[in-house]
Amino acid sequence: MSKSISSSIRLAAAILITILMFFPTYWLVVTSLKTPYELRLAIPSFWPESFRWQNYVEAFQASPFGRYFLNTTIQTFGIMFLQINVAIWAAFAFAKGNFRGRDKWFLLVLAALIVPEQVTFVPVYVMMSKLGWLNTYLALIVPHGASAYGIFLLRQSFKSLNNDVLEAARVDGAGRFHQLYRILVPMAMPTIATLIVLTFISSWNSYFWPLIMTNSDNMRVLTVAVAMMRDSVAGDEALTFHMLSAASVMVILPIVIVFSFAQKHIVAALANSTFK
Amino acid sequence: MNAHSEQPHAVQIAQLSTKRPWSWYRFFEKWKDFSFALPALLFLLVFTYYPLIYSIYISMTNWNMTRPIKKFVGMENYTKLLSSEEFWKVLTVTFKYTVFDVFFTIVIGLGLALLFNSTSKIFNFLRAVVFMPYYISMVVAAMIFLWIFNAEYGLANYILHLAGFDPVAWMTNPNTALSALITVSLWKGVGFAMLLFIAGLRSIPMEYYEASSIDGATRWSQFRLITLPLLSPMTLFLIITNFIGSMQVFQSIDIMTNGGPLNATKAMVFWIYQMAFSDFRTGRASALVVIFFIIIITLTVIQLWISKKRVHYEG
Repeated sequence: MSKSISSSIRLAAAILITILMFFPTYWLVVTSLKTPYELRLAIPSFWPESFRWQNYVEAFQASPFGRYFLNTTIQTFGIMFLQINVAIWAAFAFAKGNFRGRDKWFLLVLAALIVPEQVTFVPVYVMMSKLGWLNTYLALIVPHGASAYGIFLLRQSFKSLNNDVLEAARVDGAGRFHQLYRILVPMAMPTIATLIVLTFISSWNSYFWPLIMTNSDNMRVLTVAVAMMRDSVAGDEALTFHMLSAASVMVILPIVIVFSFAQKHIVAALANSTFK
Repeated sequence: MNAHSEQPHAVQIAQLSTKRPWSWYRFFEKWKDFSFALPALLFLLVFTYYPLIYSIYISMTNWNMTRPIKKFVGMENYTKLLSSEEFWKVLTVTFKYTVFDVFFTIVIGLGLALLFNSTSKIFNFLRAVVFMPYYISMVVAAMIFLWIFNAEYGLANYILHLAGFDPVAWMTNPNTALSALITVSLWKGVGFAMLLFIAGLRSIPMEYYEASSIDGATRWSQFRLITLPLLSPMTLFLIITNFIGSMQVFQSIDIMTNGGPLNATKAMVFWIYQMAFSDFRTGRASALVVIFFIIIITLTVIQLWISKKRVHYEG
């Protein structure tokens, strides 16, 4: 009896906290559907009087939002494609390959884990400017070609796979690309899928890098565009927040969708991979 | 896994052909394996290691990005920085933000983990919702809280009003502005800490609890004597990674406070950014980058050192 009471108190507390944690997201969505007038009521309304979808239309009209969407998409898929492939190759070399100094080279990869992009951005900016890559997709994508974390994660996964299948394929004369893409990659798919999702999320949300590497309007990505929208009203976001929140909802929508599909997968992988 | 399966193919070839000290085939085999690692190594050398070394070099020049002249000035940038009041102010702000952020992330994360660590289905769903902010772009998160903390129309002041308090100018008061930034970070980060703590909790063998409850241990003493010590490696990991992450705070500052009011929220990376891209003092900014990186390396070394000590202790 007392056990069921304590477990229902626990559930109630958990639900309350969950509601609290969800509230800011809810508040954003609700705000994005209010009229500018309703936004400035003395008593905030928790449910919009009427859904003003016009806010979304206005966000699209106020700026080339479609273009920003395209830029973010190209940036995200570019980084994903490059980073995952580079990581697959490197992980293959470090897990199954045989060459002199293999583990020393791998240490070089691992050491890169502690170098944040905030440490490298000035020289990379100079480099990009010399190459004439500023304000191009190249500056957004290429510097992110190698992810030390991704290589580390995939190497672990490849290492745990049995060599017998690879041996058999070798005997049959399969080349390395065949071994890698036809055998190892399918076997390590859960890790690769996690990596794809994580890369998707971090590239979609990235702000610092595109802020520095681009300044032209037609190369702007979503996150930077939303930040600029806020700047253009010079501190008084109350004037445009109906639009700003609509734009924000559009920024997080793809992530929330990806998240809700892959959630279980990512959570398990994160818990296993970050702490070893 | 047996020893045979661990042994890569090329090793066997190398062993078979030990009679011939060198062969084209072996050379090609080795080179081929290495070539798979080459793209990653090149990317890291060009975009991580070279910039790191180049930063050290620029930090000893008086380079201004708008001018072509670059003069070697030795340690001048460093001495100027370290003797400036602003540097210590920025360092203080950064550490203040970081310490509070890390402390509350750990405490709340652990609390949530204890509460949400249940195998029942509904908790799966609840945990997912608590974790969701982790995936929401920091720009958007900052925007949401900017609105909640809006002095005139914000929800925070409305709640204060309901409770009978005067409204607070959250973003223009030096103390509350920093707390607002920490709030955003906590909202985004506690779910992740919770998940890792739950993973840690689940790795503690149930027998420990069973045995101790037979001995008459209370739940509090179980928590203090079993749960906390066995969670300590996870806690250390979270403290260090969160510390390094918090030190890099930039986005929320850029969007919510712009370093203000009165530089009360001007943290390291934001200052580096300003110095490099508003003042164009590339040399000085690079010196700050180097100092910042030394702090990060120190923290990482401390983490490695402590975790190594722990392993020895256990072994």
